[in-house]
Amino acid sequence: MESKSKNHRRRLLFFPSFVLLIYGILFVTVPDKALVALRSSGDVFVNIIPPLAFVFAVMVGMNLFLKPAQIAAFLGRAGGIKGIALSAAAGIISMGPIYVWYPLLKELRERGAPNTLIAVFLYNRAVKPFLLPVMIAYFGLAYVVILTLMTILGSIVVGYSVGILVNDKHGLPD
Amino acid sequence: MKILISADGADLEARVANRFGTSRYLVIVDTETGDFDAVPNPGISGQRGSGMQAVVLAVSKDVKAVLTGYCAPAICNQLEANDIEVLTGLDGRVREIVERYKQGNIGKRTGTGLQTLRREPKIGSAAFIGAIRNSVNQFAGILPAFVGVVLLIGLFHTFVSKDFLASIFSGNVALDTLRSASFGSILAGNPINSYIIAGELLKYGLSLVAVTALIITWVTVGLIQLPAEIAALGTKFAILRNVVSFILSIPIAILTVAIFNLVKG
Repeated sequence: MESKSKNHRRRLLFFPSFVLLIYGILFVTVPDKALVALRSSGDVFVNIIPPLAFVFAVMVGMNLFLKPAQIAAFLGRAGGIKGIALSAAAGIISMGPIYVWYPLLKELRERGAPNTLIAVFLYNRAVKPFLLPVMIAYFGLAYVVILTLMTILGSIVVGYSVGILVNDKHGLPD
Repeated sequence: MKILISADGADLEARVANRFGTSRYLVIVDTETGDFDAVPNPGISGQRGSGMQAVVLAVSKDVKAVLTGYCAPAICNQLEANDIEVLTGLDGRVREIVERYKQGNIGKRTGTGLQTLRREPKIGSAAFIGAIRNSVNQFAGILPAFVGVVLLIGLFHTFVSKDFLASIFSGNVALDTLRSASFGSILAGNPINSYIIAGELLKYGLSLVAVTALIITWVTVGLIQLPAEIAALGTKFAILRNVVSFILSIPIAILTVAIFNLVKG
């Protein structure tokens, strides 16, 4: 368990370490340009700090009020439109990396949650309420609202398509 | 009212199992009708997250109390957060435990090793601190890749010319959208990074449709996570879901931008 955690930490740090190494090499070879690059990154950081602070506040709120087991229990409780709506809502409010959710989804599927609802859940993870402030800062409110609505509608198409194509006992909801 | 008892067997004569998360069976008893259902414990493997599978089962079955020998603190917290009472330190036959529970005798007869876990207030200071701690951990998980991406953007601004980008992205919206969707499918990580990368590519003249396809596929299609998805949900489901999500990302991107342009006038 401990070595898994160490490996995970190592993986997390590999990418930024690699970028820092590139900076190190550039500071030796072309210091002027490296400084320009660093300043440019600094500007991006400064612009993103206010939405990030908001992101953190929303994350605290979601952690306070929503529990993974409650979210997972939404799936498979109902069929039809209600089931789709609950699965979409569960996908939207779910947080954390996807691999954390796989054991729960597997369990729910074995207990009869339809493939359609699992696919709807997974697709709606693209909608991240707590990250919307950052997205709005980059693309504007109108674009974000439209993309969010299109993603939710798209999830229904994906859900039903997967349900039909997989075509097994876990297919379409009632 | 339904109560759940961890058990070594699938009937009321079975003994109460010591561990909730990994017992062989979870016996769910309706205390009003006496009906019961013995479910093989989904967490019997004892692997990481197995206790949580038992929690999901309890929540999905509308259980109001869990009676067991021992329950790990993290699992107890999850049960209690879902309004399920946890009673531990129990031993004996399932039928006896049910009777004792119905008579309100649990917690009075033995006195040793028996405890009713205290229920924390829903939104107390401890819950608030816990939420902050979780958020800090989640943020810490995002931060390294996020810092790396922002530093990379600086390099990108300074060293990558528009001519070079033009050589990658042709200016043909259809082709660029396909390439962006493929790019988003291969890369993984927190979507915040996709917003930053997409925002910067937009500044460099990549079409909004292509950028939108990248944002959509970043989360909905996961080639890197595909083996894990296959292991959990099966090859057919995982491959079909990813293929359908990839194909659909393109019309969704086109529709999003078309509606956006209409709204913008």
